[in-house]
Amino acid sequence: MAIRVQLDRILAQRRMSLTELADRVGVTVANLSILKTGKARAVRFTTLDALCRELDCQPGDLLAHEPGPPDAVDDED
Amino acid sequence: MMRFANLTPAGKSKPRHRRNPHLLTPNLRTLGPGSVASVLKIALDVAYVVMILVTGLLLLLWAASIFIPLDNLNVTVSDGADGREMPLSRPLLLFGLGALTAYFGGFLLILRYLRKIFRTLTLGDPFQPDNVRRLRQIGLILAVVTGGVWIVQGLVASRLAPGVMEPQGISDLLTPVFSVLVVFVLAEVFREGARLRRESELTI
Repeated sequence: MAIRVQLDRILAQRRMSLTELADRVGVTVANLSILKTGKARAVRFTTLDALCRELDCQPGDLLAHEPGPPDAVDDED
Repeated sequence: MMRFANLTPAGKSKPRHRRNPHLLTPNLRTLGPGSVASVLKIALDVAYVVMILVTGLLLLLWAASIFIPLDNLNVTVSDGADGREMPLSRPLLLFGLGALTAYFGGFLLILRYLRKIFRTLTLGDPFQPDNVRRLRQIGLILAVVTGGVWIVQGLVASRLAPGVMEPQGISDLLTPVFSVLVVFVLAEVFREGARLRRESELTI
């Protein structure tokens, strides 16, 4: 995925664990892990809003674009 | 502390492949007592058991036909009023019973796949790659069985009873081809459904 979620870096800066963030945001740890490891295919605006609010950051701080080949749209793993 | 109604409650870690709560209610309603789905399930189960019995019986008959004496036995090939009587040879008997067994065996396989698909529906998760594969296999089996029937009927009409049975025409293939097409189209719809479900799962 060319879009990378920089959750690790921001969590380290805020000295916050994934579990704590999950608790604050109201997303399961499993779903946050999907987001963190770059397996997510999409992020809801509501989730992004909650993450930015709890981490006190902008969406641009969370997301980064890495040039590369586009992912197949219909891969089924 | 801020809470979001459409997100999973905090602190309760659930497995990733949990069912979509929005999908649960319609499925339960679909499978309620007296629903079309429950009637379909009963029909599938009954047809499956009947097909097992018929195919098993035909297999036994086929095996027995290797040994039973066929002296002075005749078979009548007819297509309505007129018929032609001919001696029943062992290859003919084996071919006939074998073709019938394959015919019912094919439908038994189709019913087996349909029941598996139905089981995924009762679990609330029908749009998965396995069902796409099953539907494609059903389409293939349907094509082989109906195509086989067409070829065998053509063989019987041209070789065994020329002049008695009407030869098979291309128009007789229209309905089977249409059925196979419907199944393959459904398989593609399921493939797209499986892709959308996967995307939905990975939308956080």
